[in-house]
Amino acid sequence: MRLLTAVLMALLVVAPGAAAKDPEGVYKTAEAKHFTRVEGVELSPAFSDYLYAELRNELTKTKLFAQVIGEGEAVEDADAANSVVIDGVIMEYKKGNRATDAIIGFGVGARSLKLDVNLTRRSDHQSLGAIKVQTKISPKWNEEVMAKVAAQQIAHQVKKGLKDKTKG
Amino acid sequence: MAQWGVTEAKVGFHRVVLVQAGILLACALTTLSVRADEPKPTPENTIHVQLAAPVPPQKFAKPPKFFISEVIDRSGNPQPMLVLKDRGGMFLDRLPTQITREAIEQSLKAADLLAADAASADLVLQIYVFHFGLAQGSGLDFFGKVEFSAVVKNPKTEESQQIQAVGTSIANAAMRKKNVQKNVQANVEGALEDAVRNLLRGTQLREAVATLMKNNPSAPAAAPGGGMAFAHGDGSSGRNFNSRFQER
Repeated sequence: MRLLTAVLMALLVVAPGAAAKDPEGVYKTAEAKHFTRVEGVELSPAFSDYLYAELRNELTKTKLFAQVIGEGEAVEDADAANSVVIDGVIMEYKKGNRATDAIIGFGVGARSLKLDVNLTRRSDHQSLGAIKVQTKISPKWNEEVMAKVAAQQIAHQVKKGLKDKTKG
Repeated sequence: MAQWGVTEAKVGFHRVVLVQAGILLACALTTLSVRADEPKPTPENTIHVQLAAPVPPQKFAKPPKFFISEVIDRSGNPQPMLVLKDRGGMFLDRLPTQITREAIEQSLKAADLLAADAASADLVLQIYVFHFGLAQGSGLDFFGKVEFSAVVKNPKTEESQQIQAVGTSIANAAMRKKNVQKNVQANVEGALEDAVRNLLRGTQLREAVATLMKNNPSAPAAAPGGGMAFAHGDGSSGRNFNSRFQER
């Protein structure tokens, strides 16, 4: 009886942790690309580089990919079917208004960024999902902080989408 | 009345001279104080950046031999060895061009793709470093970036192609100076490794090698399955090498 209780207790401790554990290295590689921007988006050229770096950093943290490779890197043919490519477009950027943000607040006058992200399988370029991301931050923060927040959101959505697809 | 006006003008002139002298003195003093704040390299604030391990290049059907003719700094940075200006400064122990050359050569050598000299090389690389070190980040972390382009040239056919490589790395910020130094070093090393991987494992290099070796007159036919032909250099030792950049 004591042994059974001990086993049950051990299962209660271990099982939730095991169930909550993310599947590590489900995909062989993920290639993040520099996001393009539509005409009229007034962001510094360095923004794209920083967003690219942050996105790679955040994708690595998801532990969903064995390797997050740089743009334009070759992948072994055997791994191509289990690899994804992430690219996107910066659709809209509003730099916000500090005065409005300070006086009114509640998101009015906030700095905002809208992104359309596409997720495709490397081997056959089949779409694995399209994500729309909107980031809003205080205009007191700089562009790079916005890139960091946007990258976190993209990585979160990518992880969610791919996990649902794996389950489904 | 006219005399009064002249006197006034003279007084005004003296005042102007005095003000100018004052401004000059202030400028001189400011410059001196700024110079005193300029960080200087010491053994304590100098970091050694190198690849932890050679980056394995992509596999070629018929591996060509590469030779790096020269590495040129195109960053326009007046202090290329200064990585971080704050916290007493942080310096590299060698020039970014030297570090980049060593990193690429180390990786090529480990994969037996490095020629001993330009004469025995199938393809000659000329590297242009555009950025090496830290770039502007969010302020919450360190953003390391290494960016360069390589002009790949077949010394026999005189044809060349340009390829780009970018490496990035993000490391956590730190409070203590010792940790800042450690994080910056790891960050720059990470960015360098990433950039070398981007170059050596990039599809741009694969395509450049395929194109340049295919057009080699003395080379055998291109290997099947995207492979490439193989030929030795013409013995010019790369002396006739003129890139598009030099031509400009």
